[in-house]
Amino acid sequence: MNRDEIPPGTLYLLILKTLARHGELHGYEIADSIQRTSDDILQVEEGSLYPALQRMLIKGWVTAEWGVTAGNRRARYYRLTAGGRKQLAAELSQFQRVFGAIARVVQIA
Amino acid sequence: MSELPRRIKMLFHRSQVHSELEEEMRFHLELREQANVNAGLSTTTAHREAHLRFGNPSVIRERSLTAWGWSWLENLAQDVAYGYRSMLRTPVLTTVALLSLGLGIGANTAIFSFMDTIMLRSLPVKDPSQLVLLGTGRDSGISDDPVFTDLYSYPFFRQMQQRNSIFSSTAAVFSITNRVYGFLDHRDTAEPMYVKLVSGSYFPTLRVEPQLGRTLNEADDSSEGDHPVVVLSNAYWKRALSSDPNVLNRTLKLGDTTYTIVGVAPPDFFGTTVGEAPDMWAPLSMIKSVPPRFGGYKDNFSESLNIIGRLKPGVSLPQASSEVNLRYRQILRSFPDFKANQENLDKLSRAVVALTPVANGLSGLRRQFSQPLRVLMAVVALVLLIACANIANLLLARSTARARELAVRQALGATRIRIIRQLLTESLILALAGGAIGIAFAAAAIRLLLHMVSDSFSGSAHLDVSLNLRLLAFSLAVTIFTAVLFGTLPALRTTRPDLVDSLRDGRGSSTGTARNPLAKALVVSQVALSLVLLIGAILFLRSLVNLNNVNPGFNKDGVLRLQIDSASTGFPADDPRMTALYQQIEQRVTAVPGVKSASFSSFVFDEGSWNGYILVPGMPVNHDLDVKHNIIGSGYFDTMQIPLVAGRHFGPQDTATSQHVAIISEHLARTLFPPGVSPIGRSYYIGSDNPGNLVEVIGIAKDVKFHSLQEDIVDIDYVPYAQHPTGYGDFEVRYTGDFNNTVTAVQQTIHSIHRTLPIMNVMTLEKQISRSIGEQRLVAQLSAFFGMLAVFLSAIGIYGLMSYTVSRRTNEIGIRMALGAARSNVRWMVMREIFLLIGAGLAFGVPSTLIAHRAVASMLFGMEGANPGVLALATVVLLAVAVLAGYLPARRASKVNPMDALRCE
Repeated sequence: MNRDEIPPGTLYLLILKTLARHGELHGYEIADSIQRTSDDILQVEEGSLYPALQRMLIKGWVTAEWGVTAGNRRARYYRLTAGGRKQLAAELSQFQRVFGAIARVVQIA
Repeated sequence: MSELPRRIKMLFHRSQVHSELEEEMRFHLELREQANVNAGLSTTTAHREAHLRFGNPSVIRERSLTAWGWSWLENLAQDVAYGYRSMLRTPVLTTVALLSLGLGIGANTAIFSFMDTIMLRSLPVKDPSQLVLLGTGRDSGISDDPVFTDLYSYPFFRQMQQRNSIFSSTAAVFSITNRVYGFLDHRDTAEPMYVKLVSGSYFPTLRVEPQLGRTLNEADDSSEGDHPVVVLSNAYWKRALSSDPNVLNRTLKLGDTTYTIVGVAPPDFFGTTVGEAPDMWAPLSMIKSVPPRFGGYKDNFSESLNIIGRLKPGVSLPQASSEVNLRYRQILRSFPDFKANQENLDKLSRAVVALTPVANGLSGLRRQFSQPLRVLMAVVALVLLIACANIANLLLARSTARARELAVRQALGATRIRIIRQLLTESLILALAGGAIGIAFAAAAIRLLLHMVSDSFSGSAHLDVSLNLRLLAFSLAVTIFTAVLFGTLPALRTTRPDLVDSLRDGRGSSTGTARNPLAKALVVSQVALSLVLLIGAILFLRSLVNLNNVNPGFNKDGVLRLQIDSASTGFPADDPRMTALYQQIEQRVTAVPGVKSASFSSFVFDEGSWNGYILVPGMPVNHDLDVKHNIIGSGYFDTMQIPLVAGRHFGPQDTATSQHVAIISEHLARTLFPPGVSPIGRSYYIGSDNPGNLVEVIGIAKDVKFHSLQEDIVDIDYVPYAQHPTGYGDFEVRYTGDFNNTVTAVQQTIHSIHRTLPIMNVMTLEKQISRSIGEQRLVAQLSAFFGMLAVFLSAIGIYGLMSYTVSRRTNEIGIRMALGAARSNVRWMVMREIFLLIGAGLAFGVPSTLIAHRAVASMLFGMEGANPGVLALATVVLLAVAVLAGYLPARRASKVNPMDALRCE
């Protein structure tokens, strides 16, 4: 199976979207979810999630809270804020614009 | 944006953020590992795969934390902590470095703050640069010289004010500040007040606005004696009236006139003379009422005023000068009482009125202290240089010694920038700590200097000296620059990419001092500068000793002197009751136990003068003869122990109505009369040949010093106060026994005669004389202190360099000794280097000294400047200290145990 690096700049979008879909996830779940949802094509270098999450915390797109997993382990759960939702919308529309443009160019060819 | 609060919050919960991140990442790895195991991988592979997918945890942690943007602060904190520790590791050197920096910065700031206050700061008035003074501002007092260019009469001022076309406004200030014992409101105890008499145009010319009420105006100065009003200074208003807002309803009494307070000057306004702080300003129209009632409001030739003009915009100084000089001649000649004899006309044609810009005010203090301050400024600047050289050497030695440590750190992955930044931080800590000490020193030094200055200024020195922030910043910048330069230079050198070399270099096999020419050059320049300062100190001290050894011509020991304010008796100066009072005081005080004699006089020493020319009938007029007149009591010569060479003393027979008599000084007798002619019985006129001025010589006294110890012999004559009633009085008492007891007894006696007679300026004659050489003492003491400091700093420099050299050469010394070198040889090897350094320093120092001391030659007394003896003395002192400083490391070198030395890396 071929695994591809995620396109640069889309890590935030992926995290935001994943959190939007699932509500509350810890780091491993985010990585896992991205991978599974992309049918194992998108490969996040899992560690790089954490600097991204810290930056998103600083920007106020997500909040983090400690909770307990199903397996009764302590884990930090991330959740979108209102700012995060707005950011998701912005990133999404930008992504769609760029993706659409690329797609059109590629189809014409 | 609400990012910043979150970032700041993080700063206070850093360890929590760290541990949470740690936990989160560990948990992630565990879950992944578990997932891998569940997928059927072996434990080891699962672990490896999980880590591979995760990436390097340390890098990720770094990146996560740097996202918060505080890494610079963390690094800085680390550097500061590290720098602090490394400073503590060499406590002696650090202390010396900090102290020398502190002293350097502190002394520079303090001296400059003084220079700024006394010499540089502008008057607190509008557009001070437009203000010019007629004359040089060098004289103060009252002159009756018909052609005088430094002080002017009131009628002259009025004429000049009306007739000139160059000044937009012209003001006059009485050149003396009246010291008055006045009564505030209707209190019955007199308080000392400093009153400055000024023209009505004074405040408008300066464009000073009152903070309360009004200032003086032309109307206040329009007719003599009719305008008893004063404007208070802010300081007096605060001090004496507790800033009373209703001050305008209050009054004060000066002499027998009650004055209305019409306004308060703005807070920063102290008048136009730096070093003075009048309590109030009164219009010149009141000159005859304000004690001591000088008068002369309508007298064309009672010259007592400083005239200040405000130049019209666009008028140049030369333009103004030519007009002022033209008007000067016109006005003087237009006075009906101007004696247009050949003599005065000659003088008038030669007279030049200098125009002096007075943007920073008039000041006797400035004249007295500007040269000493300049010299001291140069001295402390040199000390700062030496201190900087010391810091440079210290840092140079330390960072060179740390070359290996730095190389190791670099090899372990520290970036070059990181290491340089670390050294930079350490240097900055040193410089800033030194700066902080410097500020503390400066504040203390300013207080000390202020004390020394006011102690040595015969007038009253009211100065508002505040820390000069500009210079503080400047000297801080110099030291920081030095610290940064010399702290990081070696860092740049040792962090070169060829690590291997540095690592190897640390093994102590370097060839010793040949490798740090910079350090040697620094020590050589320290020695040279120290020599300059040391010789300066010796010269100033010798000069002071010479001054102390000057015989003033009278016996300065065992004399108490004080002043009384005769004006507060309410009697006019020429009232016979005044003379009677003087005589009564003299008699009663002389009767006090322990008092041998007592006498009034108008001057004693260094108190200004009443001077002028005298005429001997039948002799050619000598207008260059400038005789100081002293009006004295009959016990003056006994009290001062001035021997009489011929003739008799004044006695009870010399009364107001008897033949007027005088005693002249020996030098005056020789000047006036040809050898062989006895002056006794001859007569002369004091001033013009007006019969009232005629006096008969009855005695000749030994010459004495009058203005200063430095002066050449001056011509003095003495006249009895019974025949020349005067308004103000010095009182001298020769006593044996305790000074304080005598003071109490004398004061009680005076007050038993006149209950409220104010007594002031009580001190010993000796103190008054020593005060007259205060500026010399100030310079001598400070330059001695800084000279010693410089030598000490240089010794530290030599010691530091040599210890460092020795420790670097331990290995080599060990080999030498193993091969048979004697301890004395080793010692000599080190000492030779010291002698070379000092020799080089002296070679530079001697010529610089000769140049530098030409600049201070005028400040020296009783010697020509640096002579070979002084040079030799300074050299010996410097050598002795340097040899001592170098001997310790040399001895340590000779004590090296060859085996240890070879073993030590």
